[in-house]
Order: sequence, then structure tokens, then C-alpha cells
Amino acid sequence: MSYIVFFIASIGAIAGAIGVIALRNPFYSVLSLVGHLLCLAALFMLLRAEFLAASQVIIYAGGVMVLYVFVVAYIGQSEESLGASHGWLRVLTPLFVGVLLVELMIATLGSGLKAIGTKGADISPSFGSPAGIGEALLTTYLFPFEAASLLLLVAVIGAVGLARRREGFTVGDTPLKAGEIPAVPPRGSGTMAEAAGDRPVAGFRGGDRS
Amino acid sequence: MNLVIAEVGYAEPWWIQIIKAILIFAVGLQLIPLVLLTERKMLGRFQRRYGPNRVGPFGALQPLADIIKLATKEQFQPRTAVGFIFMAAPAISIITAVATLAIVPFGDVVDIFGTKVGLYGVDPSIGILYAFAFGGISFYGLMLGGWASGSKYSFLGAMRSAAQLISYEVSQGIALVGVLMMAGTMSLTGIVQAQAEQTWFIIPQAVGFVIFLIAGFAETNRAPFDLPEADAELVGGYITEYGGGGFTSYFFAEYLNVIVVSAVTTTVYLGGWLLPFGWHTPGWAMPLVVIGKTGLLIFLFMWVRATLPRLRYDQLMTLGWKVLLPIATINTLVTAVLVVS
Repeated sequence: MSYIVFFIASIGAIAGAIGVIALRNPFYSVLSLVGHLLCLAALFMLLRAEFLAASQVIIYAGGVMVLYVFVVAYIGQSEESLGASHGWLRVLTPLFVGVLLVELMIATLGSGLKAIGTKGADISPSFGSPAGIGEALLTTYLFPFEAASLLLLVAVIGAVGLARRREGFTVGDTPLKAGEIPAVPPRGSGTMAEAAGDRPVAGFRGGDRS
Repeated sequence: MNLVIAEVGYAEPWWIQIIKAILIFAVGLQLIPLVLLTERKMLGRFQRRYGPNRVGPFGALQPLADIIKLATKEQFQPRTAVGFIFMAAPAISIITAVATLAIVPFGDVVDIFGTKVGLYGVDPSIGILYAFAFGGISFYGLMLGGWASGSKYSFLGAMRSAAQLISYEVSQGIALVGVLMMAGTMSLTGIVQAQAEQTWFIIPQAVGFVIFLIAGFAETNRAPFDLPEADAELVGGYITEYGGGGFTSYFFAEYLNVIVVSAVTTTVYLGGWLLPFGWHTPGWAMPLVVIGKTGLLIFLFMWVRATLPRLRYDQLMTLGWKVLLPIATINTLVTAVLVVS
């Protein structure tokens, strides 16, 4: 049973990873990445890391990727494919990939593949349960855990600071203050007048009564 | 033959698991026509009219007529649609809804003819996170359906539902942390057993209960949060271009989600299979108690739908991020202090 799940999930994960870089439509690339992450979650499940599997699905597939899908669905509809790239990228990419490959090979082959054919490390069944993870985070790895949460806090404050720099809606040349409602709605904000063609918007042809 | 690939509370032989799976699936799906009919009847009463009363005695065969109508409709697909995603999206929706049904406990481990059987699909150690994981995936059912339809109404509806889903998932999760801290476990059966020892969590966690329920309304796209399919603005939201089978799947998934959210709320806050006043629940009555409490909550869903007007989009976001999230966070902090002290 676990072998079947392992091979399905592994093939799915590799196919998803290849799909991300091979597909030309960005929307399909994102979907491929979602498939890849779900397969990884299944592999975590096989390794008895249930909490990690659930977090993987909730945070990556259900949170981060949702934003990717959002952005790509809104602005990724152009016919232009992602294929075009700069000259220096074509040189740097294989270089970095090669370095990464060599590093992984050293890590894998350096162990002499001694673990293949053995039963694997002896761990307690509750190793990957929420209780096990929580205990590890709050005792053994307390300092890295707190440091990581501090880093996240800094990132959140930074994001808020960057977002506040934007001026928001502008009517004419005067920026609006927060909470202020414009007397005349900005162009292109989908008012009835625009739809009926009384205030034509550049590039918008619906409702043209001429 | 070992079907267990994860840490679970109690696992039976494989043949019992298969029987349980079929039974839960069958009973769960049979509840949908019942809920559908009750809702239409109730809405009729709330709005001072009769509701369906033509097909069968008291209109009882109305769901059957609906399903025959839907099943014999043409499988229409717009020319701008992306074929395979358009077909797959309703399936994702219904699969995630059915999968969540698996962790709802209808009772404790009981003796049936000398065999110990847990009256639930599966009891994973991650418990409620399993439901959140499938809730996260269910987003793709709506989003892909709206995107693949190749229609602006569908796309806008999908965008709204996506934004709504992720906004309210946060408050829902944080509201639940209070319960998890009091119970000391994530397993849903464990949470009910903790309520047997302490008290039903609706009493100490009343604030969390209200937030969880409001977020549940939003997650299932029910009134007053049914903006994704607001018919006055978006025709039908992400289901605009669907007819026949696709529409049926989305419709089924929506009602199944209502049932699942009610059942999970029952389990987490209303004591699951426990009876009030410390009465002992016999094993055979446990599923009935759970379904009864779930039914009361589903009635609340209908009641709210008939009573409250739909929110505006900015009101929805303000409620989610500026009201529910801070209250849920404060609730969690206060609970943490009280549990530790």
C-alpha cells in the first residue's frame, strides 16, 4: 500500500516540478506547482510527518499559491509566452543549476547509499504528530524558532510600511486621503455612467451609444 | 494488509473501514436532498408562502424532480472555456467536500456484535487540520471553475470567493486555537472526550463559537456572505456558465459544505455525541445525537439566510480583517493565559 502511494506521489512530484518550468502558460505553471506541493504533502504523510503534510497543504497550496493564482489570473492572460529571456540569464541559469546538482550529488552519494535496503531510522510513531512537533519547537529548537518568528514579524512590518507608501486612488492630480470618498468617481472604476457611455473611458468600448 | 499510513486514534480491520467509508458516503449524500427540501420549505414559511408542494406528498419528491431535471440537461460549454479544467473544477469541489466528511465523528468507539468500531471515517492525529487542508484545496474548485469558464462574471465571482475564503479561513483557524488549547488535542474524538470531562466548549469559548460560525457562513458562501454568486451583480458568479452535471456538482458541494461545517461545529463546540445534563448516551444513539445537533445548526444557516441581507464587498472584508481577526486573537490570548494559570 505505502509503495503504491510512494510511487504515485513521487512521479506526481517530479512531473509537477518539470511542468512548472516546461509549460509556457503561466497559469498552468502555477497549477503544476500546486500539484507538485500536494504530492510532496503525500510524501510527508508517508514519512509519518502528518503535521508537516497538513501545514504544507494549508500554507503552501491553500495560502501562498492562492496569491500566485490570483496574480497570474489577473495579469497573466497575455498571449506573450514566458520563453523570451535575457542573454546573461541563459548563461547563469545552467551554472546555478549545475552547482546545485553537484551539491545534492555530494550530499546523497557522500553517505555511500548505506541506508538503502535497511529499515531506516528508529523513530517513535508520534514523531510527526502536532504534539511531537510542538515539543521539539518549544524545547530543543526554541532559539531558532523564536529567531524565525522575529524575522517574520520584521517582514510583516516591512510589508505594511511599503504598502502605506502608496497614495491610493487619484482623481485628477490630487491624491485622496484614506477614508475620503471622491465626489466624482475615478475613471475606469465601473460606474453606471461609464457603462452607459456618458463618461467614456479610454480603451473601454462597452455601451457605446454612438 | 495495512491500510494505515498515518498516525490515527483507533483503526479497525480493512473491511470495516471500507464498509464505514461507503456508509458515511451514502448517509452524508442522502442528507443533501433532505436539507435542500427543508431549506426550500423553510424559506417559503419565512417569506409567507408555501414553498414546493406539488411533487409528491407535501412536495417531498421535489429534490428528486430537481435531480432528474439537472441530470437530463445539456452539458453546455462556452466556446471560450478551457475544456478539461472546466470539467475538472466541479469534481475538485465535490471531492474536497466529501473528504472532509470523513473526519466528522458520529460517535465514540463502540461494540457492534462484538467488534470494536469507531463511528467515524478516520481519526487522524492532525484532526481538525485535515479539514482546513481540504478547505484550502476547495479554493481551487471555485477558482478554476471561474477561470476556465472564460466569462467575466464567472471570473469575478471566483475572485470574490477566493478572497473571501482566505480572509475568513484565518479568523476561523485562530478562533479554533482556543478550543485546541482547552482540549489539549487536535483529534476530533479527543475534543469531544475532553468536553465530556470539562464542559461543552460553547460555554467557555462562546466568543470563539460565534467567530467560527460566522467564518463558517463565509467559507460556505452562504447568505449573508453569498457575494461570489450574488445574482444581482454577477448573474451566478463562478457557476454562471455551468449547467447540468457541473452545476449539480457545485450545488451538491455547497450543501455538503454546509452539512460538514455544521457537523464540525457540533463536534468542536456543542459536545458532539454528548447529551446535556450529564446524561449517558448509549452507543446506538450517538449518530442520532450528532445528526440532530447538526440539523439544528443547519436550521440556523437557513434562518440567517432568510433574515439577513447580503453584505457589500468592502463590509465583508472589514468584518473579516478588522473585527473578527482581532477578536479571535484576543480570545486566543485570554484562553492561553487562563489555561496556563
